[in-house]
Amino acid sequence: MAVRVFRWNPAREKEGKFRTYHVEVQEGARVLHVLHAIHAEDQTLSYRYCCGTGQCGSCAVQVDGEPKLACMTEARDGMTVEPLNLPVRKDLVVEMEPALAQIAPLLPKGQAECPAPEQIAAIKPLRECIECLACVSVCPAMEVAEFTGPAAMRQEMRLALDPRDAGGRIPEAIKAGLFTCTTCQACWKVCPKKIEIPGKAIEKLRALANREGLTLPRHLEVAELVKETGRTVPRTETSFLEQVDEVIEPAGPVKATVGFFVGCMYNLRLPKTALDAIQVLKRNGVRVIIPHEQVCCGSPLIRTGQLEYLPTLQQKNIECFTSRNIDTVMTMCAGCGSTLKNDYRTPFTVKDVNEILTEVGIEPPARLPLTVTYHDPCHLLRGQGIRDQPRALIRRVADLREMAVVKCCGAGGGTRSGAPEVSKALALKRDEEIIKTGADCVISSCPFCEFHIGTFSKTPVKNVTTLLLEGYRKKDEGKA
Amino acid sequence: MRADVAHEAHVLVIGSGGAGVRAALEASRHGETLLVTKSVAGKGGCTPMAEGGYNAALREADSCVGHLEDTLKGGAYLNDLELVKVLVNEAPDRLRDLVRWGAVFDVTETCEVAQRSFGGQRFPRTCYAGDRTGHEMMMTLLEQLRASNVEVLQEVTVTDLLTREGAVVGAAVLDRTGRLEVIRADSTVLATGGGSRVYDVSTNSATGTGDGYSLGYGAGAELIDMEMVQFHPTGAVYPYDARGRLVTEAVRGEGGILRNAKGERFMSRYDPERMELSTRDVVARAIAREILEGRGTPRGGVYLDVTHLPAAQIEGRLPVMLEQFLAYGVDIRKEPMEVAPSAHHFMGGLRITPTGQTTVPGLFACGEVAGGVHGANRLGGNSLAETQVFGKRAGEAAGRAPSRGQRPEPRQLDLIERRLEGFLSGMVNPVMVERKLQLAMWKGAGIFRTGPELTQTLMEVEKLGRKRLHAPSKLNLAECMTVHHLCTTAMLVVKSALLRPESRGAHVRTDLTQAHDAANSPFGHTYLSQHRSGIEMKGGSP
Ligand SMILES: Cc1cc2nc3c(=O)[nH]c(=O)nc-3n(C[C@H](O)[C@H](O)[C@H](O)COP(=O)(O)OP(=O)(O)OC[C@H]3O[C@@H](n4cnc5c(N)ncnc54)[C@H](O)[C@@H]3O)c2cc1C
Ligand code: SF4
Ligand code: SF4
Ligand code: FES
Repeated sequence: MAVRVFRWNPAREKEGKFRTYHVEVQEGARVLHVLHAIHAEDQTLSYRYCCGTGQCGSCAVQVDGEPKLACMTEARDGMTVEPLNLPVRKDLVVEMEPALAQIAPLLPKGQAECPAPEQIAAIKPLRECIECLACVSVCPAMEVAEFTGPAAMRQEMRLALDPRDAGGRIPEAIKAGLFTCTTCQACWKVCPKKIEIPGKAIEKLRALANREGLTLPRHLEVAELVKETGRTVPRTETSFLEQVDEVIEPAGPVKATVGFFVGCMYNLRLPKTALDAIQVLKRNGVRVIIPHEQVCCGSPLIRTGQLEYLPTLQQKNIECFTSRNIDTVMTMCAGCGSTLKNDYRTPFTVKDVNEILTEVGIEPPARLPLTVTYHDPCHLLRGQGIRDQPRALIRRVADLREMAVVKCCGAGGGTRSGAPEVSKALALKRDEEIIKTGADCVISSCPFCEFHIGTFSKTPVKNVTTLLLEGYRKKDEGKA
Repeated sequence: MRADVAHEAHVLVIGSGGAGVRAALEASRHGETLLVTKSVAGKGGCTPMAEGGYNAALREADSCVGHLEDTLKGGAYLNDLELVKVLVNEAPDRLRDLVRWGAVFDVTETCEVAQRSFGGQRFPRTCYAGDRTGHEMMMTLLEQLRASNVEVLQEVTVTDLLTREGAVVGAAVLDRTGRLEVIRADSTVLATGGGSRVYDVSTNSATGTGDGYSLGYGAGAELIDMEMVQFHPTGAVYPYDARGRLVTEAVRGEGGILRNAKGERFMSRYDPERMELSTRDVVARAIAREILEGRGTPRGGVYLDVTHLPAAQIEGRLPVMLEQFLAYGVDIRKEPMEVAPSAHHFMGGLRITPTGQTTVPGLFACGEVAGGVHGANRLGGNSLAETQVFGKRAGEAAGRAPSRGQRPEPRQLDLIERRLEGFLSGMVNPVMVERKLQLAMWKGAGIFRTGPELTQTLMEVEKLGRKRLHAPSKLNLAECMTVHHLCTTAMLVVKSALLRPESRGAHVRTDLTQAHDAANSPFGHTYLSQHRSGIEMKGGSP
């Protein structure tokens, strides 16, 4: 098989380059075995491994751009193998020691009694970490903030759960950057042990911080507002809900009926975008039912660890749809969608607007003379696994030019309010990527991303549905 | 290349597995301690790979005497009695140390460390953390290491132990750039783990190359029972490049059935009473025999089948196996696994006293690199306990040893440098030597052995050991040294195997008939050093 491998000896060369090797391996071989085969012929290739069975965490590399354990990932003809996105020592070997040194040790109280079975059960999933640093290599917050990162946060939570530990873990975690994490989910999606760090560690640590009275003042304000108004943002203009009827019939025959969960941002900050979406849905045969008593999904509270009021919100939201016998609820906000899908137990199905439009099949819009790029909202891509649908929709209207990297824009996880400098730094990095594409316009599918990128980028930002609507408008103009 | 003393410490510990880290933690209570490891700390070695568990007599109904008797019986009475006594008496306390340091073992409803049954034991005394016990221990130890004042040098390879007037006074190491450095120490603790990588098929990690046996031998230490290599009956055979990967004993424990290619449940011919649950050596030999006599699968294994078990049982009790095999395209709920024996553990090693003192002053050893605890066959779960019990003891003894302040002999350093320079002008790719050696050992010094084959293998091994290995740059010197150690370790195994004229435990000579059983064997340890070699006779002194 042919394999491209990154080669770089920083002691000698200014920059690295890819080399293609042709080697023979047996059926079922892993990436590691390919590296062994290369090394047998070219001893100068450096790479790290030890157990060969996914237990030691020495061998993480990027395979076709994705962090993977070399010893567990099946090799593929034509694959590219690169080091993790960490300082490279040589070829595929990266510096691990600085990141590993950030992982806090347990401070023994001295008792030799075991924790209770339920405490053990809570700690165990966080304990499977093999310290491979795949998560650390993809964490956007670490690039711009003083943040010890996902592997270290996982450990803080593991320690916080252990009655044998004498350390003060919450203040420590806050000092280590707990509130700089954008909950982008990148870390656990690449974790070979599938340790849900954002949900099982970061948000849990923030919840413990909340109990200790250490929630950030800005986050407390948001929670207060939710309790008072049911919404996380104050009303500064006419809201979306104030502008629409409860039932919106499609123009033609009804192809589908959905309940629409609007979310605070589209309701109060970007109502125009939501109205655009309604136009597109109407045109494509989707009947939309919009219960007006719906409230915030609670995502901003979950992400910042303020769980007290959450059940009230959940109950209200579920009831408003069940009382209308709705079996499919559509979200348009990536954050709401991810929350309804992952943090709720709903008796109905939740689908994102991109899924709905893909399923009903859209009327072809006219093509616009635009080159656009697409920014994946974290809570759509990783929170809901939606990658291809928005892209396919975009391609119906305009040329799509991809950015080199998929990364968080910095809007989520309460960082925009809680750690604005971090949030801004990430947006600026994102803007660099946007500029590199030379696109006329950035398309996204999340109000947080749209609003946030819009604040820091000169390139205009639009929602997928707005772009589609523009395509329809052009089509109609042509006819008129 | 001119090596100066780059580091000095009261205690130097070599290896960051369970034994090494435990030793370093203990030694650091007595003086400045330096730990060097070939891998990133805690990532090397076999400790993080151990799945099954840690043996300790914890319950009222169990006893240390019971643990002792099981261990001796399992070891075919070749164990060093004093060492076994120490192991069984102190395993519980060392387990409590781990619990105090935060180890997350599985627990019972009453918050005691949970225990399960393991082969060859009359009481369920194997403590566990799911099927990642070794990893759990390693993480716990690493945390304490990070919190301690032990200085740690990672990804640094020890090439030689340095001596002065017959005593070990430190070590020569290659740092990560391939530069030779000297570490001077009053005491040195070897905790380099095992050497099963001398075989073509092995469960061991990349560092299981036997460096410690070779280092100890080079410094004049005596090794015992090096012929005693445990072959685990069930290593995976597919994919070929990952052959040997451990398939845990728990699969048979849960009711897994072994069948040959003809579909016969062949264990009925080897051990009709215990069937698949027979001891490791018996099952390994049975599987090897089936394959040897042509009743193996096309891929060279036998079937290990759990498809008759309820899917829920497989999912609940064997999650790691299910996941691993799924990754290789085999759903063990629906199809059988294919397995064959795999070299797993070295029972032999450096001869030690109960405080870990080797036969050379200034040198201590603990963990798999030391011999005597397990006799001719190791019980599953005893090694993890061994790393903690003897790690602590060796660390303590090394820490308490007096300061010596001696410097290594310059002449030895010259030799070391010359050998390393030789690699830079060598001719032979070390990877090729390693492969040939592993195949030769598998063929001629594996599960079944004969005198003529062992003699033949010794010649091959020695020939490979004389090859002039090639390092394209200084970065490859460590690799050449590893292959050098691998060859020496293989030589020690074969020579020891030739010294033992009987079948005992893991050592099987098919060309000999013998009247005695293990309990009545006239033989004791084989021993081997640069100065002497032989086999001890019971009742007489060596
Ligand atoms: C797959 C598998 C499963 C097992 N399961 C169990 C089980 O369930 N229960 C049980 O009791 N036992 C089990 N064992 C056996 C047990 O894991 C080992 O015997 C034990 O962990 C050895 O520990 P150690 O500290 O002596 O050496 P290791 O853990 O092997 O560590 C050796 C260390 O030495 C370092 N090193 C080696 N050479 C050099 C050098 N030249 N220079 C510097 N550093 C060097 C390595 O980097 C490594 O850090 C298992 C073994 C394997 C392979
Ligand atoms: S969720 Fe994103 S920002 Fe937070 S730790 Fe994980 S990768 Fe980093
Ligand atoms: S959390 Fe997962 S990805 Fe991160 S170091 Fe641990 S095992 Fe690797
Ligand atoms: S080599 Fe240990 S995890 Fe891959």
